[in-house]
Amino acid sequence: MSHLHIPDGVLPFRIWIAGLALALIALIVSVRGARDGSRLGLAYRGALGGVVLIAMAIELPLGPIEYHLSLVGPIGVLLGPAAAFQLVFVVSAILALAGHGGFSVVGLNALVLGAGAAIARPLYRTFAGALRPAAALASATALAQALSGLMWIAIMALALAVQPGGNPALPRVAVLSAIAAPLWLAGIAIESAVAYGVGRFLARVRPDLLPGPAGRGTERPA
Amino acid sequence: MINTLARVDQLASAGRSPWHRASAIAKLLLAAAIVTLAIAAPSVSLLAALYLVAATLALGARLPVRLILAAAGYPIVFSTLFVISTWDGTWRTPARLLLRPLTASLVAVWLVGTTPYPDLFAPLSRALPRSVGDGLFLTYRALFELIARAERWWRALRLRGGAGGSARARLALAGDGLGTLVLSGFERSQRQYAAMLLRGHSGRVCGCRHWAEWTRADARVALAGALVAALAVLVWGRA
Repeated sequence: MSHLHIPDGVLPFRIWIAGLALALIALIVSVRGARDGSRLGLAYRGALGGVVLIAMAIELPLGPIEYHLSLVGPIGVLLGPAAAFQLVFVVSAILALAGHGGFSVVGLNALVLGAGAAIARPLYRTFAGALRPAAALASATALAQALSGLMWIAIMALALAVQPGGNPALPRVAVLSAIAAPLWLAGIAIESAVAYGVGRFLARVRPDLLPGPAGRGTERPA
Repeated sequence: MINTLARVDQLASAGRSPWHRASAIAKLLLAAAIVTLAIAAPSVSLLAALYLVAATLALGARLPVRLILAAAGYPIVFSTLFVISTWDGTWRTPARLLLRPLTASLVAVWLVGTTPYPDLFAPLSRALPRSVGDGLFLTYRALFELIARAERWWRALRLRGGAGGSARARLALAGDGLGTLVLSGFERSQRQYAAMLLRGHSGRVCGCRHWAEWTRADARVALAGALVAALAVLVWGRA
């Protein structure tokens, strides 16, 4: 739901090229933002990238379709916006090489996942002042996933609206929304429940991996 | 998906077809040319010709037919939504919407099935910011190291009855399992950091140096490229 499994040649040129350009700009900004990131941070990012790919391979049955986890929230919280964006770009590129999504939608995928990941840590730090770590991670994940899902729907609606064809644009978007809205809600619920488990485990075993509440500094290297 | 990645990775390293012997940069350029043409071509005839070229490449690489079929079939599901929504009563629009992704996915499976990942990532990493390029190598390597741990955890969970219970409890347990992967990923990254320091990591994972070594097999890639260029020139404007 928060990942565009759209193959090459389906989305209009204007949309994917704009997405690719924006993603590359965001990538350069994120690299500058994480310039002080250490080699340890790089190795950690690589390891978490592996975890995300494994999570995306887990298929959760959701009626007639299967839901793939994205871990947008936990990754954003653990790494911070800049490093998380680089991670989702790399993951999207590897997925394209594996045939999950076309090469041309790597930029859009990175933007969709990266937007959610970017807001996750600030949200977590806000919630962590009032909630336990597991609940704070679940809440931050819910909002991060909501944003990623909304971006996914917006891109798909835009693609269908500008696609030349016989059907009027409005019914196409209405059909998409009817299909996408329940999936969007289910995605938020599933990702939050999984994030709750991740947060519960990390708070018990390695609480230092989670960032502190807002105003108390961040312990984790990005 | 992980099994597909592992299978493709093994095929790319162990394959013995002429395409496997060609340099990564030549194959990347050919793949980029075919995918770009497939996305941009307005002509169904050209798309059909490009599809035949892509299918010949994939079959010529001696990749398992099942893998080729899976790669070829995957985009159909997602293209169908667009085919239905843009139905205009002609056969050309659906044909274009199906042939484009099918061609691109066949080329992708040919590329990754004949090129080991260090060769494939090395030129890509040079076009990307340093930390992102390094991230490609480190993420791909971490994936295969963490798979075994994930499988052991999944097996233990099922044996101990963790796969039962309410959906909420199962999802939280899945989160617990992913938490253990995050933790082992963190510990692994510390070991890897120590190894990077010991091996004199200078701030860039260099990857394989063979990606740009031209071989005799590159003549085939050049020939395929010439064929694609000729097709583009001759068939571009036709219906």
